[in-house]
This record gives sequence, structure tokens and C-alpha cells, in this order.
Amino acid sequence: MENNGGSVVAMIGKDCVAIASDLRLGNQAVGIASNFDKVFPVNDKLYYGLPGLATDVYTLKEHLRFRVNMYRMKEEREITPKTFTHLVSSTLYEKRFGPFFIEPVVAGLPTPTELDPHPKPFISTMDTIGCVTTPKDFAVAGTAADKLYGVAEGLWEPDLEPEDLFETVSQTLLNAVDRDALSGWGAVVHIITHDKVITRTLRARMD
Amino acid sequence: MNSVLTQLQPSAPHQNRLEEQDELDRTDAASWGSMAGFGNLDRTGGVQGMSIPRVSDPTSFLDMHTDNMSSNPDAKIKIAHGTTTLAFKFQGGVIVAVDSRATAGSYVASGTVKKVIEINKFLLGTMAGGAADCQYWETYLGMQCRLYELRNKERISVAAASKILSNIVYQYKGMGLSMGTMVCGWDKTGPCIFYVDSDGQRLKGDLFSVGSGSTFAYGVLDQGYRWDLTDEEAQELGRRSIIAAGHRDAYSGNTCNLYHVKENGWDFIGNYDVNELWYEYEGKKKAERESQNAAAAAGASPMAVEP
Amino acid sequence: MALYHNQPMAHAQEPTAAPIEHRFNPYSDNGGSILAIAGTDFSVIAGDTRQSEGYNIQTRYARKVWQLTDKAVLATNGFAADGNNFVKRVKQRLEWYEHAHHKPMGLKSIARMIQTMLYGKRFFPYYVYNILGGIEEDGSGAVYSFDPVGSYEREACRAAGAAQSLIQPFLDNQIYFKNQQPEPGSQPFIPGNLPLATVLSLVVDSFTSATERHIEVGDGMEIYIVMARDRTTDDLLGEGKLQKGMEIEELGTLGEGQGERTFLVRQALKRD
Repeated sequence: MENNGGSVVAMIGKDCVAIASDLRLGNQAVGIASNFDKVFPVNDKLYYGLPGLATDVYTLKEHLRFRVNMYRMKEEREITPKTFTHLVSSTLYEKRFGPFFIEPVVAGLPTPTELDPHPKPFISTMDTIGCVTTPKDFAVAGTAADKLYGVAEGLWEPDLEPEDLFETVSQTLLNAVDRDALSGWGAVVHIITHDKVITRTLRARMD
Repeated sequence: MNSVLTQLQPSAPHQNRLEEQDELDRTDAASWGSMAGFGNLDRTGGVQGMSIPRVSDPTSFLDMHTDNMSSNPDAKIKIAHGTTTLAFKFQGGVIVAVDSRATAGSYVASGTVKKVIEINKFLLGTMAGGAADCQYWETYLGMQCRLYELRNKERISVAAASKILSNIVYQYKGMGLSMGTMVCGWDKTGPCIFYVDSDGQRLKGDLFSVGSGSTFAYGVLDQGYRWDLTDEEAQELGRRSIIAAGHRDAYSGNTCNLYHVKENGWDFIGNYDVNELWYEYEGKKKAERESQNAAAAAGASPMAVEP
Repeated sequence: MALYHNQPMAHAQEPTAAPIEHRFNPYSDNGGSILAIAGTDFSVIAGDTRQSEGYNIQTRYARKVWQLTDKAVLATNGFAADGNNFVKRVKQRLEWYEHAHHKPMGLKSIARMIQTMLYGKRFFPYYVYNILGGIEEDGSGAVYSFDPVGSYEREACRAAGAAQSLIQPFLDNQIYFKNQQPEPGSQPFIPGNLPLATVLSLVVDSFTSATERHIEVGDGMEIYIVMARDRTTDDLLGEGKLQKGMEIEELGTLGEGQGERTFLVRQALKRD
């Protein structure tokens, strides 16, 4: 984790979820790139973030893309956030004794079905070997995890509207990574709502 | 003969008066009366009574419990680290520029550290390594410089001041002090910089940079440095170097403190936010690129390259 | 005499029959967190009261914040034994100073004294993070924070201890207004002069957040408020000014008193 740095945070709002990450890729103390996005889309209702070792970010991302495509072709439907979480989890546990150095964060809005016409926004997070937690408020991971916990606990409140959730998640991320030497160098925020995804890059501190 | 010799030799500070080291034993006027303040100074102003753990190897004891020199990052006692500092001599005096970040592991413990220590009106010291080591000994150096002035009716030279400091830290060599400092000032010989570190190294030079971000600072510094820089150019070079280091080095940044030493003492030029200046420089670079591209498109410059 | 000077460490180098693998480990970490915020004419110094070692809670009420003089309060965090002993020695030095000078030591002098006392043990450090809060000679609120070996700095706010990394970025945001911009046309933010009520609620929020997410923080908190002379106390003592569950007491002056007043507010925190 401390090799390349980087952090991800996800939050639940009212009929929306947010997921945000910093953009730093470092080689220990030295900043290498400020465009290293750690958050990827599965579809327009489901995003996930992979903070940790950069080489594993690419490997796991491609691995998951393959598995999600296989799922799509077999099932002929989109994967739900919950199923995707378990897909990531079992992918990680396959490498139980030589793990990916990554702590994934998943954020998505489940599509309404007949069985569940009003599904709740969903976030989840895992450790490096795939032990899942599904918080009702926010999930954090990466080198600034402890700082993110502190700020999120202070700023987050239930049922935030998309624009308020954007402000909350942005402030949480920016202030947390400013206290972390290995995260920062730019930030990107995604707000997932039922009709659109809002993606914004933030003017973050570059030191 | 041998015993006479050992008696005459000053004993190393950590072996000095082991039985009297207990703080509570120091009940003389120095420790509680009008001299209260520098608690471990004796009546002559010398340093005594630094308490040492009673173990066979105090250095490895300190190594085990502190993250000094980053040899033991898991240690409980975190001593603030990580820095970019620089100083250079030029036609108009000395420029001293530093960042203001202190880190403990990857946590940014402070973004407002004063890494330039104002020893007196004519002398500046910079801080890299252990924050307490630099703060304490450079304050102490200030006292010694004042005593020198009173005794000799003239200001101390930068060479002499830096030698006092290097002699102090050399006494403690191997015991875990960690400092890399530049003593900068103006004396009879003109502008002057000495690099002093806790290994006992003491170097005179025109241009130094110290700390984890020093390589980045040197990069900018070397390509822009000339002896005949104007005051404004020199200040800008110092500032630009710190911004570059603050940008690239994870353990440097936050703000830049800039000082200019001239014949009549030092001036504090200003405190600059590294981030704001970085965006300013990037904006300028972008504007320059765009104007070059526009010129190239108009066929004005055959040398223009695609961005 | 010469012999003695030759081998002052002889006791430490005596050969033993077999190498004994004992590491001298005089330190422990007792968890908890402390926090101080300076206002224009007041200073707030707070700490939780849990003392733990590893996963065990040693006590739910142990002091970490101490009144030193009428205008100085010291918070200690780290190894409790070192902290308690350090405070004891600081108080002793302050008493000696008062005997010698017939006046209490000023805040910035206490700060410098703490530096020299900590640095005196540079090679056998007190494992203590100190935050000193109080009222400066000019009547302004001040906070000084120290590292274990004595480097120090005057600041507007500082969190230390187990939950410092949780609390400090929150304070950066709420006290220094970091990463915030005022709405177009509205007043610019001025850090460092928030009203007492705002500061108090931020302190409580910081500790409840830390209690929620850090196992070493909780049980209760003690908030010391030092007010400059002639400052109104209506915003603290007035009807309905305290949050629910808070208890307040005024601490009497320690010496002759120059008008500064110190209050102690206690508040329960979660015990799980």
C-alpha cells in the first residue's frame, strides 16, 4: 500500500452514491503521475475503486473486466452491486496466500426489480483477501484511510441529496489526503444517480 | 602519566557525572532560580545533565524506541522528519528558502513548521532532520553567539558560529542526533554559508540543499544559478526550487519561507503557499505553450514542436 | 578518582556468564487523544479520560489535562507514567519560579521551559506528546504543541495522540477552513477567531467521531476553557449555552489571580 500510495472513499446519499479517489501514483516519496485514476466503471450504475499496489490495480481491473463480461454473456443482464462485491471478494480470496495488495471499494445503485422495487444505494469494501463489509454510511480505503474515517465521521449525515453528497465526499477526500504524504496530487469524484453519473475532477493540492 | 592525561581530557558528555544525572539532584540556582529556562545548563552556561538510560548501549536503546534516521519506522516515539531546505550565495547576499512540512511516517504532522531558525539579526540556521535537535541547538548557538559578542565587542563570524555548532554535535557523535543544517549570514568576509551536520561534517560553500527533497531542488537551482543574479531573480530561483521539491517529494511541501541575508542582516521576504504557486507556474507554462503553438501555426517559428 | 573517571560505565559492561537477552523496555502506550484550540481571547484544551494498554482498558477515568497556572493548561498524551511524572516536574519548576520571581511564569516561558525539560531527556525521551494551551501575556488565546523531545510551535489548533490522524484533518477543514471557499459576495473566512460555542461543539464532535472509529478513545472527556481577563462568560455560563449532558465547574485561581478564569466542562463519551 505504501509503495504507490492512494486512497478511495465511497458514501451513501438519498437515492445516490458517491465514490471518489485521489490521482497520485508514487514511487514511495517521489510522485510519478497525477493522472492515475483508481476508480473504474462496471456500468453506469456501478463503480469500484482499487487503492493499493499500482501493478495489481491494472491486473485486478482487467481480471474483473473479463469476469464481468463473462457474467454478462452467460446471464444476459447487468451485474448487481452485491453480486459484483462477491465476485471481487472471491477473486481476491483465490489469491489467499499471495494476495493482491489492494483494498477494493464498491459503490452502486441497484436497479429496481419486481422483487425489490425500491433498492437501497449500496457500498462495500474488502480487505486484501476479500473479507467483505457493507457499511450503511461510508467506506474508506488506502493510505489515508484513518484520516478519511475521521473527516467522514464528522461531515457525513444521512439522506444527502446528490449535490450535497458531492460536497461532503469532496471535502472528506481533500482534507484527508492533505494530511497524507502518499495521497493527493489531484482528485476525481463520481456521483451515481438513477438518471446520470456526475464526474468531476477537483482542484486539489499538488504537494 | 596515562591517568593524568585522562583527567585532563574532557570526558564525553554522555559519560559525564553519571551519578549526578538525575534531574532531581540538580538543585543549584541554575535549575530553579533566575537561570531557570535552559534547565540542563550549568552555571558556566555549558551543557550538563543530559539524562542517559542506564543501559550498556544507549545508542541502540534510542534506536529501538525512536524512528530517528528512519531506521525503525515502527517505533513508538516519532520524531518529525522530511524536508527541503536550500541556501545559496550570490552577488546580492544569501538566499535561504525552506518548506514547512513535518511528517511522522506518512502522516503530515504539521504544515506550518518554521524551518529557518533566526539565531540573531545576522545569522540564520536551517532545519533538516530532527526538529528538536535543530531548534534546541541553534537556539543554544544564539546564546553562545551573544556571549561571544559581549566578550569580544564584535560580532561572531559565520565560520566561528558554525564551528561552535559543529563542535557541539561532534561531542554527541554516534548518539543519535540527527541534523543537517546550513548556517547562513553576513560577516567581515561578506556573505557566507556553512553546512553543518550531525556526523560532524562542516563545509563552506556557495550553494547547498538539504533534505529528502534536495535532489529536486538542486535540479531547478543548478540550471538557474549564476553569481550575478539580481535580488529578485535570486529570490524567485529559491522560491521556484522549493515549489518544485514540494511538488515532487511527498515529504516536502505546504508553504515556502524565504529569507534574504544582506550586509545589514537578514530580511524575511515572505511565506508562500506551495500549492497556489504551483498552479500559478503551471498556468504560465500553459499560456507560454499556447502562444508558441499559435506562433507555430502562423508559421513564425520553424522550431516549434507539437505539444 | 582517575580510575573512576576512566570507567564510569563499568557496571554496565561487566561480563556475564552467558548472554542474557533482556531488552530494557521502559515504555508503554496508553492510548487516548488530546486536542487544543485557541480563540482570540480564550483557549480550549481537551482530552478523553480512557487509559488503555493494548486491548485492555486500565481505567475509564484517568486525567490527561492539567491546570498549571491561572492562564496555562497542559495536556499530555502517550505513556501515562511519563506524562504524570512530567507534569509533576513541570509543576515543581513552576513553583520554584514563583518563589524566585514572586510571579507566575508566563505562557511562552512555560512553553520554552517544557522544551528544555523534554530535550534534557533527548537520549532517554519522555514518551509524551504535550499540548500547552492558555492565555498569552497580551491577552490572546494560544496553543503550543510539542514533540516528545521538545521541538515546539505556536499554533491555532492541534490534535495529538491515538486519534490525531482522525481529528486533525477535520479540524483543518472546520477551524482553518481548508479546501473551502466563501460563496461569491459573502464575507471571507478568518481562521482563528471562531466563537466559543462553535469551538466547543467542534471539540465534542471531534471526540465523538474519534470514539466511534478508534478503540483507544472513549469513556469521557474533560474540556478546560481558559478565558482572558475581562472577557464575558455569558457564552459559556448563560442559560441553555451548554450542550445536553455537560457538567461545568469553575476552577478557582491558583495564586493571587489576574482576572483569567478557568472552567472545566465534563462530558460523557461512549464506553464500548
